[in-house]
Amino acid sequence: MSILSDSDRRKIDSILFCSNFVITLYVGKGGARMKRSFILISLMVLLVAAMGFAATPKDTLVIGANTGIFITMDPAVAYEVFPNKIVAAIYAQLVKLEAIDGVIVPVPDIAESWEISDDGLTYTFNIRKGVKFSNGDALTAEDVLFSLKRPVVLESVSAWFLVDIFGINKDNVDEKIKQIDDYTVSITLNAPYAENITLGILSNMFTGIVNKDVVLEHEVDGDLGGAWLTDHSAGAGPYVLVQWERNNVILLEANPNYYGEQPPLKRIMIRDIPEASNQRLLLERGDIDVAWDLTPQLLEEAKRNPDIVEVKVPGHSNEYLAMNATWGPLANPKVREAVRFSINYEEIVEDIMLNNALLVQGFINKGYFGYVEENPFYQDIEKAKALLAEAGYPDGFEVELLTSNTDTRKAEAEKIQADLALSGIKANIVIMQSSQMYAKYRAQGHQMIIAGWGNDYPDPDNLAMAHANYRAKQLAWRNAWFDDYAATLCEWGQIEPNPDKREQIYKDLTEYWFHNGPFAMLYQTVEFWGIRKEVKNFEEAAFGYGMLFDFTKVSK
Amino acid sequence: MNFGQFLLRRLFLMVIVLFGVACIVFFIANVIPADPVGAILGGNAPPEAVDRLKAKLGYDQPLAIRFVNFITGAVRGDFGVSLKTSNPVMKDIMNYFPATMELALVAIIISIFLGITLGILSAVHRNKAIDQFSRVFSILGVSMPVFWIGLLLLLVFYFKLGWLPGSGRLGFFTNPPPRVTGMYLIDSIIAGQWDTFKEALMHILLPAFVLGYNATASIARITRASMLDVLRQDYIRTAKSKGLRKNVVIYRHALRNSLIPTVTIIGLVFGGLLEGAVLTETVFSWPGLGRYITTGMLFLDYPAIMGGTLYIALIYSIANLIVDILYALLDPRMRM
Repeated sequence: MSILSDSDRRKIDSILFCSNFVITLYVGKGGARMKRSFILISLMVLLVAAMGFAATPKDTLVIGANTGIFITMDPAVAYEVFPNKIVAAIYAQLVKLEAIDGVIVPVPDIAESWEISDDGLTYTFNIRKGVKFSNGDALTAEDVLFSLKRPVVLESVSAWFLVDIFGINKDNVDEKIKQIDDYTVSITLNAPYAENITLGILSNMFTGIVNKDVVLEHEVDGDLGGAWLTDHSAGAGPYVLVQWERNNVILLEANPNYYGEQPPLKRIMIRDIPEASNQRLLLERGDIDVAWDLTPQLLEEAKRNPDIVEVKVPGHSNEYLAMNATWGPLANPKVREAVRFSINYEEIVEDIMLNNALLVQGFINKGYFGYVEENPFYQDIEKAKALLAEAGYPDGFEVELLTSNTDTRKAEAEKIQADLALSGIKANIVIMQSSQMYAKYRAQGHQMIIAGWGNDYPDPDNLAMAHANYRAKQLAWRNAWFDDYAATLCEWGQIEPNPDKREQIYKDLTEYWFHNGPFAMLYQTVEFWGIRKEVKNFEEAAFGYGMLFDFTKVSK
Repeated sequence: MNFGQFLLRRLFLMVIVLFGVACIVFFIANVIPADPVGAILGGNAPPEAVDRLKAKLGYDQPLAIRFVNFITGAVRGDFGVSLKTSNPVMKDIMNYFPATMELALVAIIISIFLGITLGILSAVHRNKAIDQFSRVFSILGVSMPVFWIGLLLLLVFYFKLGWLPGSGRLGFFTNPPPRVTGMYLIDSIIAGQWDTFKEALMHILLPAFVLGYNATASIARITRASMLDVLRQDYIRTAKSKGLRKNVVIYRHALRNSLIPTVTIIGLVFGGLLEGAVLTETVFSWPGLGRYITTGMLFLDYPAIMGGTLYIALIYSIANLIVDILYALLDPRMRM
């Protein structure tokens, strides 16, 4: 129903009442004079605006980042990569991760030392004495016990490690996690995992230690303080959460009661800057010190400014082409090998990833214990054709290549399609929305797929189980690679206590997997930032990002 | 029909419109092939974890039951709990809406002043340089995407010239004024914090201009057209011939009459401003309801998306209702 029509003059008259208001405001009595003063005022406003914007304070690191992903700061629940690193700055843990000589390993945090029982099942942690929470309360075994049980009792998603790997659940948690005395706790596992695995898993943020008394003071409806901890902190880490306004700002301040050395930066401020282009402008103007989510192109542009430095470290995800090992021609290992020799890996890293990726063809990431520094595959079309002929497909075959609808994945699919065509394999690309793609993948309904795997703890076990052990029902299983030799090696590596032997097991497994497995590993991801040149030691702090980020190392 | 009946009928229509919006919002959110549980857990999560979370969030219930729950909740102002923030959606909306409202209000003020000025100038100086400028300015205004013009202006006024700040509602190290309305410009006046007021004003200028650019262009074009129309009327010729100064003729005789269609347009574009805030807030890091809904979308936070959208629809309907009531009071024939 139209309210007004231009033809209806009388109806329009009634609105004169409203327009008078505008006119009075705008024109007043001396129309032209008012207009002139309006322009003058506008000019003055602009002049006032032309003021300087100061650089960020020396003791404060200002980060521009898209914080849309931030959900909660509760260590028992937080699960996203970047938020978890903020949580890690707030909460101390029994053990934490540190990069030593380029390898990420668990090191003591508030657990001074630990003993492992002879059967390898029970870990007894001795807690450092004199550790205080940020409010000054002493941290004791009671807090540790409460904090370790919390994610299990809350059935937090991030506690799946405890439930699905360690076999600790709501029903048995009281027997599995125990307080021995004021400064000792023990955890009993369901299998004698290698020490690096157990500690690697325990260094995940769900073990962040909360102040039991403070948290219980804020308990609502049996949530064990969950609602309150979403945007408050009660930890013993190097920093304290002092402010979090969603979609606006997160502010950390150094914890005066931190047991370790005081960090060089007194404040960490994370401003929500959702637009990457805007992050670049703010970085170059010096309003922020770190741009967290630059695209490769924006970083290239920003780097031309002498005040901007790029930082790159290996990431924790990989990108792969996987083949359903029970489907048609792909069931033949020679065909899979032919596919691996058809792909030009360098071009994917250089042209599609713009060198923001590492050429790693094994399943163990660079930066991990057990990393195999060998890339046996390269594009060799003659070899690929010969392998196909040997396998009985001299004229190639037709196959469906499934992937999800991101620009990178689409570009990768087109590149691989072109490479496979050189060997005579005709790949038909099918693009799906991510959740649909994973549904089809889980149901083993794909033929070939381009996807990725993100890792959860820095031990080869995590990756071997996914990529080589079908019994773990992860990637090897989805690709129907029911290989008992590989599966047995994975399971042996998981419980072998001797690190040297473990290293050899994963080396052998990788060698076998290279040529028999259902994968062609494309690359390992890289994490990168644009930072101001005044920011020091950012790379040391960031090495291992994804798993860890040590704000205490950064200075200005 | 008396005024009471008219009001009842209008309210009834508004309820129907809102119900329609609620239906559309709910079904779009639920028929698109996206899986919020998968979004929370990630593609590689074990199936048991997926089932556990589905049951916890109530996504294992049939669509019809979820719809009834949504509607009965919405009637009580309860849009459920945000999957992401764990707050009641209504609480989040109340938190973020003032920032959006402030932006939209400043945008409409800028659009009115700028649009009317340009409209008058181009009508009075028809086909002269200012008219051509205004034409190009307006065409750009209705055709350029908000995020592009936003970044371009940031590049010029923030990055190159350094006249205006680059993001947010206040400087990084400034505390917001004590909360009364949630709108910083008003709250800082109430608290007498003039420095904060100035800073908030500097921060709002660029995003408000960008948000209102489209509206400015429409207002400028409408004002120009109707001004030209009015300037051709007999009474203007009469006014001129009786020796009145040119400015008096233009501003007092012509402008008043030519603003009528402009006022109508202003009412209409206000809805567009609330809607445009979604993009503007992202470009300018403005923590408002638009940004709340966008981050909700990326997370498939259905309660937040549905609640936020419905709330904007409600505000728009209320604005329209007020306009209708005003018209009806002014012109009894409107109640027919």
